[in-house]
Amino acid sequence: MSHEYVPEIAVDREGQEHEVQGWQDDMYGAKLGFWLFMFTEVLMFGAMFMALTYYFTLHHDDFLIASSSLNRVLGGTNTVVLLFSALTMGLGLLKMRHGDVKGAKLMIWATILLALVFLGIKAVEWTAEYNHGVFLGLDALQAGNEHSKPFGQILFFGMYFTMTGIHGFHIIIGIGIMLWLLKRINAGKVTPEHHILHFNIALYWDLVHLIWVFVFPYYYMIGAGLTGGAH
Amino acid sequence: MANTTKTYKEEYAGYWKVLAGLLILTGLTFVQPTMFMENATFMVQMLIGTVKAWLILMYYMHLKGEKLIITFTYFSLFIVLVFFVIVIGFDVANFQYSDLSHITSGDTAAAVSETHGAAHAEPAHH
Repeated sequence: MSHEYVPEIAVDREGQEHEVQGWQDDMYGAKLGFWLFMFTEVLMFGAMFMALTYYFTLHHDDFLIASSSLNRVLGGTNTVVLLFSALTMGLGLLKMRHGDVKGAKLMIWATILLALVFLGIKAVEWTAEYNHGVFLGLDALQAGNEHSKPFGQILFFGMYFTMTGIHGFHIIIGIGIMLWLLKRINAGKVTPEHHILHFNIALYWDLVHLIWVFVFPYYYMIGAGLTGGAH
Repeated sequence: MANTTKTYKEEYAGYWKVLAGLLILTGLTFVQPTMFMENATFMVQMLIGTVKAWLILMYYMHLKGEKLIITFTYFSLFIVLVFFVIVIGFDVANFQYSDLSHITSGDTAAAVSETHGAAHAEPAHH
């Protein structure tokens, strides 16, 4: 059996054949591949939302009461922060595509700053909850002791800390890959002509935003109509 | 990309228009539970969230014009919906072991319709 080199051939829209030198500039392939990765993220969060919905149907009143106790001002502020971060990320990509590399870098830094603000607000919120005895591992969220919350509320807060925690982890990952993107831009590896990495990282950031679009109302707003909660 | 025929100014303006739409919908999210359709808060909140998600997917994630990826997306959503409606809905509607299950045991909160939540709510913080 021979092992001679057989060049890979790609055909353009006009039917002309070309020998493939590499797939680095395959914009569509890179985009499609990244979307497949993002579908795995959607499946992961989708499974958690399904569990949440299942528990919500079983403990409807407990969920509403627990939801009413969350701080909607902090949660809402974080929603707006993420909205603006999605804008800065998108504008950064737009500037990169149109040759304004300096403007693109500025927008990425703005996105990183907003991501840090999000994490800071989340830290304040979790700290307040911990100080009120509501946190994973504390008595209020353990069944079978005098401080235990009703079982439905234990499920609610368990899911709340898990999902917002995993979401926060995605924010941290996002900051990391944005810093890496800046490094690649500075090294001249990401340019207006070769910006697929920037495009995909912007997609990732939009996905993180997209997940929060459902996390926020599901946890903070479903019990907002009840009186007695924090506002 | 789907938007390569648009000019920089058009795309730039588009990003701000979508932001304005998302901010208005976020404002709706805040006022809805106390201002309108109070008895259907969950459904309305999810509906607003879905509209926001659509705006993000189509414009910020550049899905407008991407037929293949949109098809993947709709298919995935369809699968999730099938699980939501058929599997969970059927299971909850026919749950036979509520007295035995650990998930459904324990103290259940007093009915919200009777108490309006105030008497039993223990806010995590203010």
